[in-house]
Amino acid sequence: MLIEIKNLVKNYVMGDIQVQALRDINLTIDRNEYVAIMGPSGSGKSTLMNILGCLDTPTEGQYLFDNVDVSTLSDDELSAMRNREIGFIFQNFNLLPKMNSLQNVELPLMYAGIPKAMRRERAIEALERVGLADRMDHKPTELSGGQRQRVAVARALVTKPGILLADEPTGALDSKTGVEIMALFDELHREGNTLILITHEREIAEYSRRIIQIRDGLIFSDEENIRSDDVEEKIYKTRG
Amino acid sequence: MHFEEIVRVALHALMDHKFRSFLTMLGIIFGVASVIAMLSIGEGAKREAIAKYQDLGVNNIIVREKKLSNAELEEVRARFSPGLSINDARVIKEIVPEVAQVAPQAEKESEVKMGDMSAKSTVIGITPAFIEILNYETEEGSFITADHYNNSLKVCVLGAGLANSFFSNQSALGKMVKVDDQWLEVVGVMKSKAVFTETVGELASRDLNNDVYLPLTTFNKRFAKENLLESEIKQITVRVNRSDKLMESAALIRSILDRHHFNNQDYSIVIPFELLKQEEKERQIYNILLGAIAAISLIVGGIGIMNIMLASVMERTREIGIRRAVGARKKDIMSQFVVEAVAISITGGLIGVVLGVVLSFSISLFTDVTTYIRVYSIFIAFFFSVLVGISFGYLPAKNAANLEPIESIRYE
Ligand SMILES: Nc1ncnc2c1ncn2[C@@H]1O[C@H](COP(=O)(O)OP(=O)(O)OP(=O)(O)O)[C@@H](O)[C@H]1O
Ligand SMILES: [Mg+2]
Repeated sequence: MLIEIKNLVKNYVMGDIQVQALRDINLTIDRNEYVAIMGPSGSGKSTLMNILGCLDTPTEGQYLFDNVDVSTLSDDELSAMRNREIGFIFQNFNLLPKMNSLQNVELPLMYAGIPKAMRRERAIEALERVGLADRMDHKPTELSGGQRQRVAVARALVTKPGILLADEPTGALDSKTGVEIMALFDELHREGNTLILITHEREIAEYSRRIIQIRDGLIFSDEENIRSDDVEEKIYKTRG
Repeated sequence: MHFEEIVRVALHALMDHKFRSFLTMLGIIFGVASVIAMLSIGEGAKREAIAKYQDLGVNNIIVREKKLSNAELEEVRARFSPGLSINDARVIKEIVPEVAQVAPQAEKESEVKMGDMSAKSTVIGITPAFIEILNYETEEGSFITADHYNNSLKVCVLGAGLANSFFSNQSALGKMVKVDDQWLEVVGVMKSKAVFTETVGELASRDLNNDVYLPLTTFNKRFAKENLLESEIKQITVRVNRSDKLMESAALIRSILDRHHFNNQDYSIVIPFELLKQEEKERQIYNILLGAIAAISLIVGGIGIMNIMLASVMERTREIGIRRAVGARKKDIMSQFVVEAVAISITGGLIGVVLGVVLSFSISLFTDVTTYIRVYSIFIAFFFSVLVGISFGYLPAKNAANLEPIESIRYE
């Protein structure tokens, strides 16, 4: 099992009030799965994703990543895990504004201690992968929303992580660009990557192989998704 | 992450805010500049003092006749003191064990003439031992030799100032000058000496460059005393072999002279080396004060760094969060900010060194304060600026490293 979550609870304390963002989550995800997490706004999707991405820690319960209890890891080990095992694509991109695309994509490799020349090579490769080889010197403000999203994807891909986590990857994009991103994800999945993405759009969730629905911090349903011919066709067309 | 990588990231961050980085540096710049300037002032004062005492000889004891009025002189003579004499000099040399050489000197205020020029001067009758004791050098010709002395020749050596005003660029050697009513042949000219601007112990300040030296034998033969009560000589310069025997020898000299002068205190003893040490002690307090002022300005500079760094960490919370999210460890963030602080202080330190050197030169150029920059002071100032950078950069860097990744990435 790649991911195993047992009785996970996340509470936020704000003064006297306690917000229960996640109540009792039990979940297992295998290698090379392609999962979509759906749910209304405020249901706890991002909270769950942040915990999966080792950015946040649960209040209660256990999170095993590759059979290792994450709560036993040191801060340095967590950093290494974020660096090597997990590729995180944020809802709002989270690119460094003063750096160009290439530098942004190089960033995780820098913290992985990879020498400059090789880093550059791999970053260029990742940017080519998302079709942005011609925008390497552009800073985020000089890119369109879709292009920024693709830089963020390239940054998540560049360390060749075991799992990609994407929080609303198409939220800010028009449907055509959205489909392009989804076709790319499909390709990554077929190459053996594990993908978990958050979305509130059914249409996007349909690209995945498994759909988990969350309501008020609880898993409401968890079903396999058999892709419609329509979706297959869209992917096929986009790939050209 | 490699060190050069950290440096590159830090420099990028500083270049992104050039003006702010410069403002942050200002405190360090002025701190380092003031450390260098202050140290150079202290060093300049020290060197000036050493040069002054070196002229008097650090291994010398100077026995000088006290300035007494005629009435006092009469009283002293009535109590059997003959005043300083050549015999005193001889006895000191014979009895005091560590004494290497003694140089008695007689003095007279005279008028020196050359052609239609004339000057007021101190005429000094000396023995050849004089030049062995004091590190005086001649510019041209020779000093008073044993031959001049033994034969009471009518020769003289001119001070540099006197020679220059009489002969300007020409050689003075072989020329005749008239001292009071005596014609003397110039056999040498002294090198120019630093002008005494301060009184040293009992030695009144005066310009040594206006002195005229002649053999003591000639002096005694040719120049009449102003009055009969006057003692034979004015001063005995005693050179001791070792400077740690100065005090001991001086005590012995005092007891000898007291006996010969029948306990009349008509002379005084000056030990330049002891005065130098004492002056050094006094100056130390002054130096500590200067150092403290400079140190405070460096610390203020450091607080400036800390202040701006703390603000910069706040402002860059999100950047820190993103870096942490893609795998930066605490120590990566930590070193990034420490290196930024150090880069600021190194750059500021370098600019400060230049400014400090310029400042120090300007001080000696435009004021009468002498400054001297020792290389070690530059290293000290620079070292402390880096130390300040590290210590005051540490807290902001630690704050940055300890931010929670999830909270900083959400920070607006
Ligand atoms: N840092 C926080 N402090 C307090 N409460 C929080 C915090 N983060 C999230 N919450 C609360 O937890 C709940 C779940 O939030 P979360 O961001 O996971 O929702 P979401 O499902 O991602 O919603 P959306 O689709 O709008 O992004 C919300 O009620 C929110 O108010
Ligand atoms: Mg969300």
